Amino acid sequence: MFDEVFLPHMAEAYRLAQWLTGNAYDAEDVVQDAALRAFRGIKSFGAVNARAWSLTIVRNTAYSWLLKNKSKAVVFTDDLSPPEQQELEHEGPYGTRVETPEEIALFKADAEDVQRALAKLPAHFREVIVLREMNQLNYRDIAEITNVPIGTVMSRLSRGRQLLITLLGDRK
Amino acid sequence: MIASMRDNDELQMNAYCDGELDPASAIEFERRLAGDETLKAQYNRLLSLRRTVRSLPQYDVPAGLQARIQSALDADRPDQVDRLGRASRPVQAGRPRQRNWSFQALAAAAVFGAVISSSVMLTMERYDRQEDVARAVVAGHIRGLLAPQPFDVASSDRHTVKPWFTSHLPLSPQVPDLAAQGFVLEGGRVDVVGHDPVATIVYKHAKHTVSLTTLPRGQSVSDQAIAGYNVRSWSDAEFTYIAVSDISSEDLASFERAFSEGSPAPEIK
Repeated sequence: MFDEVFLPHMAEAYRLAQWLTGNAYDAEDVVQDAALRAFRGIKSFGAVNARAWSLTIVRNTAYSWLLKNKSKAVVFTDDLSPPEQQELEHEGPYGTRVETPEEIALFKADAEDVQRALAKLPAHFREVIVLREMNQLNYRDIAEITNVPIGTVMSRLSRGRQLLITLLGDRK
Repeated sequence: MIASMRDNDELQMNAYCDGELDPASAIEFERRLAGDETLKAQYNRLLSLRRTVRSLPQYDVPAGLQARIQSALDADRPDQVDRLGRASRPVQAGRPRQRNWSFQALAAAAVFGAVISSSVMLTMERYDRQEDVARAVVAGHIRGLLAPQPFDVASSDRHTVKPWFTSHLPLSPQVPDLAAQGFVLEGGRVDVVGHDPVATIVYKHAKHTVSLTTLPRGQSVSDQAIAGYNVRSWSDAEFTYIAVSDISSEDLASFERAFSEGSPAPEIK
């Protein structure tokens, strides 16, 4: 049972854990811990969607792990800090600055820039973007995993992406 | 000056980009996109962000993680005793790892790890074989349900089903009629487990199909649920039986009782 429900999603679980915790060592611990939890909780698995079930456990494990070990490093909030807010409102892509089509079409960001920008996002924004873009889940599954209504997923995705665009657009 | 997008537009654009808009709204959005340069620019930016994010290198599962997890699980599963009798005390989850290992400790860990993983592999291998059998049997049941009828020979007469098995298979089980106990004989089919054709007797309980696959003795699997079907296994002197159905595990247990009691003593062939 466990082998059929959790193990097929190991690679994805690890990826998610790495994005949420920000490094490979922690991700390993989180996945291992999540596997144990899944294994012990497998009897409660009644859901149709093994993938969402497994990733939910990984996500929750990652957060409790982060809170325990790095509570200062992780930001749980839908609110942006005033500078970030300002960035969005005044310099952001939807603000007053008019950009050329070339600027709009492509970010001049390398992988490192993108990773840094993602790491800067508050956790709630980062996780929906990771689940959507890396794990390529649909809104319903993301809502299930993050335990919020679909409307919240939509607004977090939208705001998270705006914020990323701003962060990436700034570094040229 | 570019006017700020209304929040709703922003959400709609994201949903469109993610393929989450219903068809009518999607067509409507495409129409707007075609006529609105600002919107188009913003949409392109969103696509560009997606490309950028998705082009990030994907993290690969580190080698050894799966083995570590398996050994942690085995430690957590007291009934899965290591057959070689080696004490396997695998890494505890959540324990902070020491990262300044000396070479000696590293070498010791490597040897220790090899010992653990080889014994784990043995346990796993046996476990896997059982799971393969269970999966194959459930697959046969599912295939039966998808076919126009879940049996190759249809008969509620056990004197038809039993000879049919006998003529098709080297080993054929007793085929008791259990209608009095609520399990109506429907027929029989041949499933393939591993590379061997085996007899499967099909019963109906209320509206549910029960497949009873018979294997040579000694291949019992653990009672479990696979793909939503309950699996129950038992053995007698001749066969290992694996029953698969979507009826409750209690009903499956009473099916086992009914079958064991109803199975007539082996006839002399």
